[in-house]
Amino acid sequence: MTEERVIKIDPVTRLEGHGALTITLGKDGKVKDVQFNVTSTRFFEKFLEGRPMEEAPRIVPRICGICPIPHHLASVKAVEAAWGVTPPPAAIKLRRLLIEAKQLSSHAIHFYALAAPDFVFGPFAPPGVRNVAGVLKHLPDVAVQAIKLMQFGQELCRAVGAKAIHPTLGIPGGMLSPLSEDVRDEWLKQIPEMMENLQKTVDLAKKVVNDYIDVITKVAVTPTYYVGLTNNGVHDIYDGKVRVMNPDGKVEVDFDPQDYPKYVGEHVPNHSYATHIYYRPAGYPDGIWRANTLARCNVADKMATPMAQAALEEMRELVGRPSHHTFAYHYARVVEMVQAAENIQALLEDPEIVSTDVKLSDVEPRAGDGVGIVEAPRGTLIHNYECDENGYIVRANLIVATNNNIAGIEKSLMDAARFIFEQQGHKDLKLPDPIVKV
Amino acid sequence: MTEAAQETKTTSEDWEPKIVAFCCNWCSYAGADLAGTSRIQYPPNARIIRVNCTGRIDPEFILAALDMGADGVLVSGCHPGDCHYTSGNLKMRARWALIKRAVEQAGIDPRRIRLQWASASEAQIFADGVTLLTEQVRKLGPLRGQWR
Amino acid sequence: MTEPVSVAMGQGSSCWGCYQSLVDIHLRLADVLPKLDIKFWACVADFKHKDLESYPDGSIAVGFYEGVARTEEDLHLLKTMRKKCKTLIAFGSCSCFGGIPGLANFYDIEDALKVKFKDNKTVSGGQVPTENVPPFEPVIRPNSDYVDFDIYLPGCPPTSDLIFTAVSALLEGKEIELPPYAVCHYCNREKKETPIPEILRPYEGVADPDRCLLEQGYVCLGSATWGLCEGQCVNRGATCRGCFGPVPPISQDQGAAGVGMLGTYAPIEPDKILEKCKDPLGMFWRFSYPSSHLGRIRIRREEAKTK
Ligand code: SF4
Ligand code: SF4
Ligand code: SF4
Ligand code: FES
Repeated sequence: MTEERVIKIDPVTRLEGHGALTITLGKDGKVKDVQFNVTSTRFFEKFLEGRPMEEAPRIVPRICGICPIPHHLASVKAVEAAWGVTPPPAAIKLRRLLIEAKQLSSHAIHFYALAAPDFVFGPFAPPGVRNVAGVLKHLPDVAVQAIKLMQFGQELCRAVGAKAIHPTLGIPGGMLSPLSEDVRDEWLKQIPEMMENLQKTVDLAKKVVNDYIDVITKVAVTPTYYVGLTNNGVHDIYDGKVRVMNPDGKVEVDFDPQDYPKYVGEHVPNHSYATHIYYRPAGYPDGIWRANTLARCNVADKMATPMAQAALEEMRELVGRPSHHTFAYHYARVVEMVQAAENIQALLEDPEIVSTDVKLSDVEPRAGDGVGIVEAPRGTLIHNYECDENGYIVRANLIVATNNNIAGIEKSLMDAARFIFEQQGHKDLKLPDPIVKV
Repeated sequence: MTEAAQETKTTSEDWEPKIVAFCCNWCSYAGADLAGTSRIQYPPNARIIRVNCTGRIDPEFILAALDMGADGVLVSGCHPGDCHYTSGNLKMRARWALIKRAVEQAGIDPRRIRLQWASASEAQIFADGVTLLTEQVRKLGPLRGQWR
Repeated sequence: MTEPVSVAMGQGSSCWGCYQSLVDIHLRLADVLPKLDIKFWACVADFKHKDLESYPDGSIAVGFYEGVARTEEDLHLLKTMRKKCKTLIAFGSCSCFGGIPGLANFYDIEDALKVKFKDNKTVSGGQVPTENVPPFEPVIRPNSDYVDFDIYLPGCPPTSDLIFTAVSALLEGKEIELPPYAVCHYCNREKKETPIPEILRPYEGVADPDRCLLEQGYVCLGSATWGLCEGQCVNRGATCRGCFGPVPPISQDQGAAGVGMLGTYAPIEPDKILEKCKDPLGMFWRFSYPSSHLGRIRIRREEAKTK
């Protein structure tokens, strides 16, 4: 090869967010540069300024329609932190139910709609087929079980949050509405079917993992730092401390939400409107970390529920801890789906979930600076607002989940690109026959 | 009017403020009438629109006027307590507070809009209000020019 | 089986919620998807922008456009969609009115860029990216300033049922008929038409679950908002913030209607109102600022700058 070559993939598809990919190959045929170009941003940090802080939870879900619930909850937690408010226990349980329901539906949709088409049809099938509609046409059973899982999660979000997309019931001091006993009973009835669909998903995922083990262990194995919430070392998505693990698997720090500016840095690359989040003490680019399913499963000592713990152990046997295998994200996603399902069941069976004591009546704004952190399906999500004595926002800072991964994505794409363009490694990869041939 | 025509007009020396005045039929419009018959002087910039009560003024009227080319808007009604429909003007007063703040938030000088109370016999108060607003707006210049 | 209908799903700057809501028709997808011939849908199928551009003009039956034109690329996609699609749908409140991203028009883009890239708690001294990213439009205009739409389907997001109804009608070649009522029409709360002595912020007190929230003092935009959502928030305890935009005709100024309604219910001293409602622009115009009267004046201010 003599000329420098630029390969542009625009837009990057089956991904949430606006993105393009620019790969530059040098004259020597070596991969010179990989850019993940996030091509838009909407300036939430700016236009939150001047809004009453309690309205933030009703505005920020629009950052992402696929994970609006984590935004809603991180936001309401940030307000509560600034005003020094602790909601009643039943409200926290409702919020946990909400975020677990979202975790379940988000992971299900990700696995089936965004990842499964490649596995089902093989990565070289035409785009008109290699999509979720294709799965529906060629493997209706698989599609139906997927849709039912997503439906369970989304509809449960609606039941707890009034709207599945852009929920409205979280309020500083609790929730605006309890869950009625009737509604709870309806959901309890649906648990067995949900668990059955979950089991089928786990089986499919395991088959995929075993079929593609060569890809998983060879392509895009990228050591980075990892970040995720844990509650005393236990995997948690609603509350806890943020744990950072270094590429060698050593825990660097467990920090409290309000200390995040010490540990979290944002690098502004010249080629992306999404900033690159990194571990500040290590600097950029050394401190590039990844969040999301695999990161959480790497940083956690253990899962919170028994079936999920068993799944985690199985996964660790295969890929170790920490796992740097980018394709192991799919596996970790399944581990987390199991935990979400188990948590949903436990929460629905908890009598306190139908308590009507879900909202404080004496919340008062005060000048403050509050940080709310939860785990969105795609990673650690930070909302931080400062407000005046009337509770109006004067400054906001947001670390959105996906941005934790952008630098890591570039890094792993670089590894993947080298593997393909330089080592021609993909030619020797053992790819299984697609489940469906078209 | 074409953009260009408007443009020259708003920037030229002889620009005159365009004021839209919404006047309640029962007091302010009568007051305006009286001002005319009593030959009280006030600037001719206000185009008066008669409404049966300030409570009838949809906030959209005020904002649409600004959007469509007015440089200022006056709302004139009966004194609180004197509204012929009991509380129309109280509703207007409440709306006004929010409109004024919203106008300001949108980057428009709030001195371009004015709410006043003037009874049927208060021709002078009515006229003074028009004069005050007109002069205020004259100082601010054309609304379209505010951005330069 | 009849021929599938060709569709293109485009996105400007958006949150993907409208498409998530489409996917949330759940099992009905099994009926709908096979009837669609997907020509472009970035989040689902691997078609690229070039693919869309290569189709003959007017060759796609139906296009959905979600989001606003924040960047040149969004704008290009919007115009391309208009060219390629016979019927173009403004999908969701962003696309219909400017939506939440339109709140950025409250500020100048320079200030927004500063907070985002240069100066906040976790960034310092960054530069606005310029390489392989499309430039920003300095202000968000309503999409309808750029192209004509055939159908407006508002909501943030439009409900899954609404989308299903609309898509089913389209597939059958029928007109989409949408009921014209406000959110209040669907609200189960009792209304006594009593004026309120004070305004409450939503965290204050505990609301009576059976009475109109507005009559209890909580700002609710139900009467100024198109009720296509069937009152999903108000019937569960949360006030309406107007996410479905104005009641038809949707060219109305929703914020003005909301302010009008609040004045009717709270004819109290201005100070008492402003004490609890210091941000009317962000409250009443939350989803429709770019297409409102004030928003238009704001856009003109931007035009004046570049002239
Ligand atoms: S209308 Fe709402 S749901 Fe749809 S893209 Fe815009 S913000 Fe998202
Ligand atoms: S104002 Fe709000 S609470 Fe009252 S009836 Fe209308 S929608 Fe319901
Ligand atoms: S009740 Fe109001 S805020 Fe809630 S979905 Fe309907 S229109 Fe949107
Ligand atoms: S009648 Fe004059 S303000 Fe109501």
